[in-house]
Amino acid sequence: MSTLAQTESGTPTTCAGPASTQDLGSSYGDCLQGECSRKPDQKLPELHGVGDPVMFSSNSSYLSSRGRMIKWFWDSAEEGYRTYHMDEYDEDKNPSGIINLGTSENKLCFDLLSRRLTQPDMQWVEPSLLQYPDWRGHLFLREEVAKFLSFYCKSPAPLKPENVVVLNGCASLFSALATVLCEAGEAFLIPTPYYGAITQHVHLYGNVRLAYVYLDSKVTGTDTRPFQLTVEKLEMALQEATSKGVKVKGLILINPQNPLGDVYAPGELQEYLVFAKRYWLHVVVDEVYMLSVFEKAVGYRSVLSLERLPDPQRTHVMWGASKDFGMSGLRFGTLYTENPDVATAVASLCRYHGLSGLVQYQMAQLLRDRDWINQVYLPENLARLKAAHTYVSEELRALGVPFLSGGAGFFIWVDLRKYLPEATFEEELLLWRRFLDKKVLLSFGKAFECKEPGWFRLVFSDKAHRLRLGMQRVRQVLEEKAQVAEDPPPCQTQEPSDQRR
Amino acid sequence: MSHQSGTFPAPCGQKACQVLKDRNICIQVLVMIQHLQRRVDEHLKQLPTTRQRLHLPKQKQAQSTHEQEALLDHLIRQMVNFLKSRATGGLEQQVSLLSLECRGNVRSAQRAQSSRQPGQLVLQWSDIEPAFVSHDLSNRGSEICVLYHSSFQDYNAYQGDKYQEDKNTLGFINLGTSENKLCIDLITERLGQSDMNCIEDVLLQYPDWRGQPFLREEVARFLTYYCKAPAQLDPENVVVLNGCCSVFSALAMVLCDPGEAFLVPTPFYGGFAFSSHLYAKVELLPVHLESEITEANTHPFQLTVDKLEHTLLQARFMDKKVRGLVLTNPQNPLGDVYSRESLKEYLEFAKRNDLHVIIDEIYMLSVFDESITFHSVLSMERLPDPNRTHVIWGTSKDFGISGFRFGALYTHSKEVASAVGSFGYLHSISGITQHKLCQLLRDREWIDTIYLPTNHFRLQKAHAYITNTLQSLRIPFLCRGSGLYIWINLKKYLNPCTFEEERLLHRRFLDNKLMLSCGKAYMCKEPGWFRLVFADRPLRLKLAILRFCEVLEEQKQDWKEKQLADAMKE
Repeated sequence: MSTLAQTESGTPTTCAGPASTQDLGSSYGDCLQGECSRKPDQKLPELHGVGDPVMFSSNSSYLSSRGRMIKWFWDSAEEGYRTYHMDEYDEDKNPSGIINLGTSENKLCFDLLSRRLTQPDMQWVEPSLLQYPDWRGHLFLREEVAKFLSFYCKSPAPLKPENVVVLNGCASLFSALATVLCEAGEAFLIPTPYYGAITQHVHLYGNVRLAYVYLDSKVTGTDTRPFQLTVEKLEMALQEATSKGVKVKGLILINPQNPLGDVYAPGELQEYLVFAKRYWLHVVVDEVYMLSVFEKAVGYRSVLSLERLPDPQRTHVMWGASKDFGMSGLRFGTLYTENPDVATAVASLCRYHGLSGLVQYQMAQLLRDRDWINQVYLPENLARLKAAHTYVSEELRALGVPFLSGGAGFFIWVDLRKYLPEATFEEELLLWRRFLDKKVLLSFGKAFECKEPGWFRLVFSDKAHRLRLGMQRVRQVLEEKAQVAEDPPPCQTQEPSDQRR
Repeated sequence: MSHQSGTFPAPCGQKACQVLKDRNICIQVLVMIQHLQRRVDEHLKQLPTTRQRLHLPKQKQAQSTHEQEALLDHLIRQMVNFLKSRATGGLEQQVSLLSLECRGNVRSAQRAQSSRQPGQLVLQWSDIEPAFVSHDLSNRGSEICVLYHSSFQDYNAYQGDKYQEDKNTLGFINLGTSENKLCIDLITERLGQSDMNCIEDVLLQYPDWRGQPFLREEVARFLTYYCKAPAQLDPENVVVLNGCCSVFSALAMVLCDPGEAFLVPTPFYGGFAFSSHLYAKVELLPVHLESEITEANTHPFQLTVDKLEHTLLQARFMDKKVRGLVLTNPQNPLGDVYSRESLKEYLEFAKRNDLHVIIDEIYMLSVFDESITFHSVLSMERLPDPNRTHVIWGTSKDFGISGFRFGALYTHSKEVASAVGSFGYLHSISGITQHKLCQLLRDREWIDTIYLPTNHFRLQKAHAYITNTLQSLRIPFLCRGSGLYIWINLKKYLNPCTFEEERLLHRRFLDNKLMLSCGKAYMCKEPGWFRLVFADRPLRLKLAILRFCEVLEEQKQDWKEKQLADAMKE
């Protein structure tokens, strides 16, 4: 049911050697610039302790053994990113280049954003913005964030600026939280499939691991939905980690979920929080897609909207501008926690994760402009997301491909198991590579630590012409596959029940 | 869950972990004891003097006594709690509740105080805050808090109570933080121009984590020109991150394993100690320099290869693995510039010993004395060991925009560049900011004809003003022509000449709302040195000097009183 992300002994079995490393690296779907994470089959070795792994020691190297390991992981991840960037699609210059439906970015509203960001109020420069800041973030921005979250998370009482810490992105926030909440070698529980880059975020500086809570797609008695998280599964995963001698310090929840595109019901959320409280676990709730719920019927609730949090001192919420405002390049992430020690400790690290005063000012202006957000940006953004989603889901349906989509996020979780001759991750990889050969980039399930081979994440939040071309290429690959298949596809019968949500 | 799982398993083995943990606990307890001791000292010292000086009404006196007592009581309780909690691991929860409770008390007390009297008391209270033992944080999380507070508490007090001409004339004047505030008008005007304001989709999307190619290209061109590199520098060797401390931290991560060390000549910029310890757990081994001029020392605080060799030898004797040498050029806090010859000697020493050299040249364009020539390490025709030579530069000092958060690494080693680049997503710069930086660095005409001449002229003037004042006060200092600060010697105001007295004098400056940095923060071997930043507007500088003189006068007066009292006793 659960497995640890990294085994203690680490290296020997998992690092297959440089040759295969390169190979795997280039095949890594979700490891583009934005979402770099480790490769599917590798487990991160411990950074110190257990002697020097042979493959990392090299006399010609200028790096320490820790440095060599860091670089090795990065290079292998970057390999995939390079493949894409060497041959990026461009309407005019490179129409046969690769279309990226792998990186979770919202490219639908650039026109709105650029218009807003070039208005005169954004150009303000004043001395205090150019000098060393309050490392928690400028007070004016923290006040604006508190107001913003109070409103959009529907908090029962106004949130407080002193509970806000601002950093240069949610990756930094994961890293800082891991460092101040866990000792090296300790772990967070995380339900899979999950946004795989978190593995790197918590490991690079923090040396913290993830203990997986594996979910499956099958709908059975207690599981009324595919990939349903239950307290029972959490309990089991926690037990297993503990029995292996790994201390679990917290639970990471992503809501709305990535890659499932689903949201947790308030009742479920409450159950998970109560579970965490029972074991003195911190809960880190990543709500970075909270305003990207484009299906009106979906009842999304932020954890900050709950009337009474079971353990407010151990509940930490993160949000950022990367997804909901489609500005992953702005590097803005924020923490909300009622625990002053945690806020202070994270702020102590902010010297290393700060963002420019001018950008802080622009961010505050943006969050403050409720008229623009409510009347211009959000309605338009949600309408465009919905249209793109409708287009892609129609295409998939026409192809007879099952998929999951919960009405939130930028992606559809696609079930391509029937296209794998064998239910293995090798086959998943081959299919993924087939897509890349046809110049369309997707992310494969292994990158999200999905238990079942054959799932892919497809990002739909891109301009219509790119999306159309991307889907054409997807169709080509799948039709070709279906023709080539000599045996009838193996898992055609099993379709997730609520694929049409 | 068994208690066994409380200690983390794997890498270093239970025993080593326990040692580490114990050491952490020791550090925390020591810090607490120090605070307590300091508090008791101050308590005893302050009460009689406040009574005499201020003639406080009885009631208020009693109140402040009460507050002090409550504070002492709290500290002791906290220590007991802490020790108890460690001794009885299993009963963690109970203790945690207890400590939570008393933490709450302190917090509200602190708030009440800060609203009433923003100055002195806040500082005193913030002294204790690091001693909080949190059961919500990991040990290293607590340690980070302690370290941060002990390093930045004054800075945080300043952030909350800055001097403002119109609004807060009683606020802190900061001659402690090295910032150039002389050219904000020029920078503001330049940043307000229309070319700065560009939004393109690439700026809003996930970047190349080493930095946008357009910015790395511009940085390479910029450094080629201003460092006078013999050949065009390569953009592929540039990594840009959000600040030089991030660059340093990432370098320490990839060049050293935990517990390994860098050599660094003292006095040195204290931020290095913080940055190398915080994430990377790399040690700094001081190469102690002295102010006295001898045969070997032709100028104060001279760095020689002998001293480097000596420290390296000592380190080897102690079984310390030294991986590199950290140099700052122009020097901080001395304001010295290394000559080409000595620079070469240091680099050759490093090469002989297979050491990396990290050279921080962040003040390279702040050499305002025209008779001084600065030699960037990048200007050398042949570097002794190019793949182990790593240069750091940023815009914080030379362009006075520390709030921009920009630092760049230039290294000939592609391997090091790419390893540091993998930290990019944790230290990234907004695309919008990257665009502005690129526009700024590209505008060579503005830099050469407007910005640099004006900046240097204003630095000269401010420097002259301060040095004249110091001369008239007969305060010795190092008169150099670069940097934003002066290294001054206040030894004669310390009696006895100890670091404790240095700390008290420093505190006295703070109590008078003047921030300076004391020598101890730079690991200076001799007590009594202070760094005074002069790159501030004339008005603030004048006021600062007034406060400075007052403090020294007070200090002298105290000394006389003490002598008188001693004489009476005899």
